[in-house]
Amino acid sequence: MKEEDLHQSKDPASLQLWMTGLMRPEMSCTSCQDNVLLRPLHGRVWKMNSLSPEVALSRISPELRPLLCSVVRNGRVGLDSSSCLRITDLKSGCTSLVPGPCCDRFKLHIPYAGETLKWDIIFNAKDPELPPDFIFGEDADFQPEPSELPHLASWDAGKPECLLQLVKELLQQYHQYQCQRLRDSSRLLFEYDSLLEDPNYGRSMEIYAGLKNSWTGEFSARFLLKLPVDFSNIPIYLLKDTALDPGEDVALLSVSFEDAEATQVFPKLYLSPSIEHALGGSSALHIPAFPSGGCLIDYVPQVCQLLTNKVQYVIQGYHKRREYIAAFLSHFGMGVVEYDAVGFTKLTLLLMWKDFCFLVHVDLPLYFPRDQPTLTFQSIYHFTSSGQLYSQVQKSYPYSPRWDGNEMAKRAKAYFKSFIPQFQEGAFANGKL
Amino acid sequence: MGRLVYSACAKDCGLGAYVSIMAASISGYTFSSVCYHSANSNSDHEGFLLGEVRQEETLSISDSHIGSSEFLNVIEVHNHEPCTQLFSFYDYAGNINEENLNRILKDRRKNVIGWYRFRRNTQQQMSFREQVIHKQLTHILGIPDLVFLLFSFISTANSSTHALEYVLFRPNRNKYNQRISLSIPNLGNTSQQEYKVSSVPNTSKNYASVIKEHGTEFFDKDGVMKDIRAIFQVYSALQERVQAVCCEVDQSERVKEKIQEEVNKLKKEIALRKRNSAEEERRLQEAAVVMLPDNSALPDSSHSSLTQVMLSGPSVEPSLERPVNSSSPPIYSTTLPPDSPSAILLPRPQAVGSPGHPSPSLGLGNGDGSSSDSLNRQATGQEDQEDDEDSSEYENLVSEQLQPPSLTETVLLGRPATLWPDGDAHSPPGS
Repeated sequence: MKEEDLHQSKDPASLQLWMTGLMRPEMSCTSCQDNVLLRPLHGRVWKMNSLSPEVALSRISPELRPLLCSVVRNGRVGLDSSSCLRITDLKSGCTSLVPGPCCDRFKLHIPYAGETLKWDIIFNAKDPELPPDFIFGEDADFQPEPSELPHLASWDAGKPECLLQLVKELLQQYHQYQCQRLRDSSRLLFEYDSLLEDPNYGRSMEIYAGLKNSWTGEFSARFLLKLPVDFSNIPIYLLKDTALDPGEDVALLSVSFEDAEATQVFPKLYLSPSIEHALGGSSALHIPAFPSGGCLIDYVPQVCQLLTNKVQYVIQGYHKRREYIAAFLSHFGMGVVEYDAVGFTKLTLLLMWKDFCFLVHVDLPLYFPRDQPTLTFQSIYHFTSSGQLYSQVQKSYPYSPRWDGNEMAKRAKAYFKSFIPQFQEGAFANGKL
Repeated sequence: MGRLVYSACAKDCGLGAYVSIMAASISGYTFSSVCYHSANSNSDHEGFLLGEVRQEETLSISDSHIGSSEFLNVIEVHNHEPCTQLFSFYDYAGNINEENLNRILKDRRKNVIGWYRFRRNTQQQMSFREQVIHKQLTHILGIPDLVFLLFSFISTANSSTHALEYVLFRPNRNKYNQRISLSIPNLGNTSQQEYKVSSVPNTSKNYASVIKEHGTEFFDKDGVMKDIRAIFQVYSALQERVQAVCCEVDQSERVKEKIQEEVNKLKKEIALRKRNSAEEERRLQEAAVVMLPDNSALPDSSHSSLTQVMLSGPSVEPSLERPVNSSSPPIYSTTLPPDSPSAILLPRPQAVGSPGHPSPSLGLGNGDGSSSDSLNRQATGQEDQEDDEDSSEYENLVSEQLQPPSLTETVLLGRPATLWPDGDAHSPPGS
């Protein structure tokens, strides 16, 4: 979406909301009631039946609003931090005679282990200093220990982050509760214990247990693991290209066990949008199927390594491209017209051979040097019938990925000399001045 | 009282089984009082339920079991104690302060059977803090069957419809979703049901003092209303009289029955004597006509004379001689044959001229001079000697047309078979 698509709103508040990406698409601008297409937050489009955070906040009792702001705007809990906490079903505990806004109870949607927990949070608008109460939805057996909830015992309504911290503490106990439920299956308990022992995975794991397979009615569970892959060295340019707010770079591996004996296992890899783009899209990375009779402690490192290799390859490719461009700059000097100084993916040269001037466009692929750069020779004199400059693309020429940048530049120079006569003839023959 | 939907435990002891069931009841005024307090609060509201738990045992015997016992635990809510504000007896973490609890309950602590909470627009499910508090209350108050009554007030978005929902929970062993049905007597269509008196005792002190002061006018020393005793005495007296009357009626009925039997008996005698005297009279007349033509002193009103019958006295053989110049009608003493069925053995009179059969006797005898046989003949109409038809027609005709009306009953009861002159006994037709 381009900048000029944005309606020139005179309302700074709505503009600010756009900047933070919190306004819902197709929401009317508050100042002039025009429909504005805005960026969805984190690449996720709001569903038509859910409340945007700002609308929800406007209905909350004013005394409780700061607590909810913290949850809605900064509320990233769990491994899937790209998904925000969401509130719905706002209701009031006051009589209908009390004028609004006075909503003081709502449902909080929390992403967890691939599921969405729906917890009821109950405040009292007439006593906003009191801590809330919770109803844990379908998890009626979840009974957290109050003594392990410090933000509940020392509740301070004056601290806006108090509710968010309390929710995180509850989630920690919820995680323990779900792990306890794995005891129904010794096989799955083994999977959990083995992962727990590994510090790479044990601390970044969410488990949702006790699912019933809709077909067989068997006990099932889902493991969500955050893969310890270092994405920090991915060049910044790869991330900037996304049209979306990048958020945190994370790779999550979800493994669903549809039966207690682990005979039906379905893995899935989730990448944050920036990483997905950096690696070349969703089709660029395929993880292997879960081996029959295998276990997570063997499979997860395998996937991790695959992803790491891919990332390393991408990083190396960046450096290799930079080296290539540097070498060409060195060899061709003033012949370089322009080059991509951020991603080092393009280079354009203006060369002359026997008074014949021509352009050479070099396109370096994502998986350079494994993939060969594309050379596009372009005449500056001749046009094709469609009005474009006459050009020829060369994808196969002497090349080896093992050459360093200097060698590639030298070899390219040699190739130019050998190919240009042929190109010139073609330009004269097929192009027109 | 609503019966239960929750069965606490059932055991098979081999010989029988016992089931423990729980039910709950709350009086209408207590329920409305709780609702009133709750609905008037601008936030969530809570308090305690006061009452008692009764246990009833029902022993039933059926063909399948030797015996089974059913224990019904009835939780009765008599009253409630609202809390003035939230967190009045517990802190933010849900830890109960027993001192505050006692200050709220005072001397009614022993009457606590549960507690309640009112919250608008929330699910009918115990919340996290409610579970924490309930667990502690169960322990502190020492009530293992502590119940929790949850009120939810659900309103539509435009506030046009409001629904008050209530659920009674009876948590057990960390299971906080077990519910008990709560009944409210007389909350319903009383036009279809009988108005029930609540078993909830009246705990009002004023009421108790008034009853104590004026009670002696209505109640005796045993606490039973005096009127009831008086009515019961009247009832007993009436019962006795009725019993006595029954006996008298029984006796009188028996006497009446005996008298009736005698009357019937005598009627039969009368009828027989009438018939016999009529026959005698007729024979005498005929004999007089044949033998003595000038002797026409026939007794007049023979018919009427024949009707005079002596009801008592020994049987007398009828005289063969006709009375001469007799102004008083002859008195015949009739005697019923000692054995009526003996008439069965009498020879059946035959029609005149019927071949193979002895001629019917014209007189009272049957030809051999005996006269007693004629008296013993049953009035089956078979003595009609003027019929010249054959024997079967004669028998039928006589039997159907000429039988005396007074002896009809006897005929219908069973016409005995008559003995043919040939010695065979034949049943009359139609018997």
